[in-house]
Amino acid sequence: MTLALENIVKAFKKDVVLDGVSLSVDSGETLVLFGPSGAGKTVLLRLIAGVIEPDEGTITIQGRDMDGVEPEDRGIGMAFQNFALFPHMDATQNIAAPLTARNMSKSAITETVNRIARMLKIEHVLHHKPKELSNGQKQRTALARALAGEPDILLLDDPLRNVDAKLRFEMRLELPRLLKDQNATVIYVTQDYKEAMALGDRIAVMNAHGIEQTGTPSEIYLAPANIEIARLFGDPVINLLDVIPEQTEGGMRITLSGVPVPIDGGYGEVAGRACIVGIRPEALRFVAEGTADAIPLTIETETPLNEKTVTLGLTKNGREIMVSRPAGTPGPAEGTGFIAIDATHVHLFDRATGNRIVPTERHTARSQGAA
Amino acid sequence: MNTTSPLERVLRGIAITLVILFFMFPIFWIVLMSFQTNATILQVPPSIFFEPTLQNYRGLITGQLVTDTSSLEIKFMGNLFNSLFLSTTSVAVGLVLGVPAAYAFARLKFRGSEDIAFTLLSFRFAPPLLVLLPLTIYFQQLGLANTYGGLIWVYQLIVLPLILWIVRGYFEDIPADIEYAYRIAGHRWWTTFRKIALPLAGPGIAAAALLAFIFAWNNFIFALVLASADKQPVTVGALAFITASGVQYGQIAAGIILSIAPTFALALYAQRYLVEGLSLGAVKG
Amino acid sequence: MSDVSTGAPPRRRFKVSRRMLPYVLSLPALLVCIGILIPFFTAVLYSLQRYRLSQPWARKFNWGENYLNFLSDSSFWNTLKVSLTYAFATVGIELLLGLGIALLLQKRSRFNNFVSIMLLMPLMTAPALAALMWKLMTNPGFGILSYFADLLGFTNFNWASDPQTAMLTVVIVDVWVYTPFIMILLLAGLRSLPQQPFEAAALDGVPRWFVFYRITLPMLTPFLLTAVLFRVIESIQQFDIIYAMTQGGPGDSLTVFQVEAYLNFFQSTNVGRSAALMMILWAITFFLSNIFIKNWLRLRERQRGEA
Repeated sequence: MTLALENIVKAFKKDVVLDGVSLSVDSGETLVLFGPSGAGKTVLLRLIAGVIEPDEGTITIQGRDMDGVEPEDRGIGMAFQNFALFPHMDATQNIAAPLTARNMSKSAITETVNRIARMLKIEHVLHHKPKELSNGQKQRTALARALAGEPDILLLDDPLRNVDAKLRFEMRLELPRLLKDQNATVIYVTQDYKEAMALGDRIAVMNAHGIEQTGTPSEIYLAPANIEIARLFGDPVINLLDVIPEQTEGGMRITLSGVPVPIDGGYGEVAGRACIVGIRPEALRFVAEGTADAIPLTIETETPLNEKTVTLGLTKNGREIMVSRPAGTPGPAEGTGFIAIDATHVHLFDRATGNRIVPTERHTARSQGAA
Repeated sequence: MNTTSPLERVLRGIAITLVILFFMFPIFWIVLMSFQTNATILQVPPSIFFEPTLQNYRGLITGQLVTDTSSLEIKFMGNLFNSLFLSTTSVAVGLVLGVPAAYAFARLKFRGSEDIAFTLLSFRFAPPLLVLLPLTIYFQQLGLANTYGGLIWVYQLIVLPLILWIVRGYFEDIPADIEYAYRIAGHRWWTTFRKIALPLAGPGIAAAALLAFIFAWNNFIFALVLASADKQPVTVGALAFITASGVQYGQIAAGIILSIAPTFALALYAQRYLVEGLSLGAVKG
Repeated sequence: MSDVSTGAPPRRRFKVSRRMLPYVLSLPALLVCIGILIPFFTAVLYSLQRYRLSQPWARKFNWGENYLNFLSDSSFWNTLKVSLTYAFATVGIELLLGLGIALLLQKRSRFNNFVSIMLLMPLMTAPALAALMWKLMTNPGFGILSYFADLLGFTNFNWASDPQTAMLTVVIVDVWVYTPFIMILLLAGLRSLPQQPFEAAALDGVPRWFVFYRITLPMLTPFLLTAVLFRVIESIQQFDIIYAMTQGGPGDSLTVFQVEAYLNFFQSTNVGRSAALMMILWAITFFLSNIFIKNWLRLRERQRGEA
């Protein structure tokens, strides 16, 4: 285990940002910290980097307690969301910053800077000052600076936040390979769930008080710990409907628009409890009229996206439902459609707590995933 | 704004002319006097046409005041040197003391930091004599009376609040992340301060230093109370000179011009920062 | 909770160095502070003593006597009157003049910028030297201003040497030196105002005087307050100009606080009275500077917010 946080508490004045956060990251692993702004992701990174101190709790890196260790002694590289380039130094000097701190010869520094610049395709702007760089070049320079020292731990604070969509797309493809090449332990902060899914070996989902759930991308997607997480992952957003499951002879079932829908076995004592059912838009499919147990839907709009088409419909009771299907597959007729539910992909949440009700036996298969 | 009537334009023109006349005439006139002999100065009616002479400046620079009847030694150059030395050293000391403190107040907010910063600021507004009168007695006892060291210390009253509050603003404008980034890259606090914070606050430090120099140079009361003739700057020296030289008006004028020229030059050079400095960093020009 | 037995020792070392840093950095400046605070407290003690340098044997605490004596001391009341007259006259004129000039130069143009820089020259002149310049110009023998006064029919206009006109003379010198201060602050203020309200008013054909009173002045208020308070605090303490011009004379016509205290100390060697005078001046400026600092801070925050 390269990095471990234990019971970290951090408050600014009276405002408790982190309340007992624990986290561990394995060597070479990429952990994504995902959550809305204000969840304390950046604070957590700064605590790891050592530029602020925790009020309580311990941080250990390679088994060594970091209490009392200054930022420069932690063997960390960090890329900031706002780049934080040194405005009075050119790109070369910026990238060389982790190298000049060591006893390295000038030629070795130049060589390393050039190698990293080539890798990040910024060798042509090495003599530019930050204000002469485009946003994308700034971002790459900041990343190059974080990588240059070949740190054991790489902290990336939403590095794609302030760059344009095209570059973000490119970098999202490029970064995983780059990070793997570095062989570093990476903590990557983002607010974008696609980025989280694309880059993370594991994802830690944070909210206002700490880490809500930690798991691989598919675990988070397929077994979200609560409604909030289910909503954060997936585009279009998961359909959430109030239901009260009933126990029938055929097993546990819920009723949608008067149509009974059996839900996966293993849910014990949920009958009669106020629940919310979560159905991913891609777990719904259109079926022909007259199919058994099909739910009628009034079609409102259809939105074709690149790789999928999203349909917004209304149930008999006026509740909105989103259905996603691969692009190019046939859709419903104008006006009314009928949907069937893939019952294995239905999540049940407790309406009072918002937590997912975990079935005792699980038959979930790997779904086609998001993105 | 383009609808100004001709009448208004004429009135504006007259107003600006009067303003320029009032504020520039004294300087213009003293410059003229400094190139005149006593004979032409005393001429009635006064005239702006005369044969210019450099004898006043020559007299000041050589330190010999030669009149028809006598020759008087004047130490005006000594005063000029004192001004230069006191102002430069005070600013240097002020920078050494003030810049790190400004950084501490800007970046490392600590218990009591605001109170201390405001106490320092309030020195700027306290009546100088309040401190100076007891200080004359203390200085006698401590052996600091009539020493450069004692004066430079007291000059911190003007220099330090200015440097502290202007430079603090510049440090506050540096995003903390930039310094963090340098630390994380592996540099010690001290290196980061020298390589990141100081260069980025450089313009502010230069502006504060120039203004502090001007204020130190223009100070009168500290040296009047605490210094005797050999340590006096031009402000006090010129006053003594006026009584000593009696009727050498041309030389007095030349002395004044030599005394105000350095601050004018610096002010022109630092004009961009004057507003900021005069408002102790509150208003950006 | 972390393991205290292993966590405690390094934490202590860490916190000390990090916690101490700000103090280490500001300590030298603090020491200078303390060096200044000692004479301040000494001054408080002096003000409560009967203390004359010429009669050191008679030095003793007389508590509030120096202050009580002021009540029946006509020269104290004269000092107060002269100081207030000076402060109100100078700042009043400088405010009107400074605002007027700032409005004249408001539009950014090469000429206006040049003029505003030229006008800063008096402000950069040491006030004591400025007083000497005016002394040369008002010399009854050859002063150009005396000559002009003569031409205008004011024969024997004696400027600073006449108790009737001494105040007027030093006020003119103060106005000459310090009007640019108010002008430059208000000019910066005027130029930093948002343009929309003025454009909207111009479109609606609102009369100019109305725009000035209802839009310009209210928006300029923080700058006006800062400039005026700053000037009042300095003006009520004025020493350089008056001392260099007349040393408080003729008679007691210009014995403002600091001049009176200076003369008390160095001529009458009455340390107790001198210190008590300074304490009263300090109380006035302390009160004013508290209001000033509040305004100044608000202005500072606002300007920084915009930058």
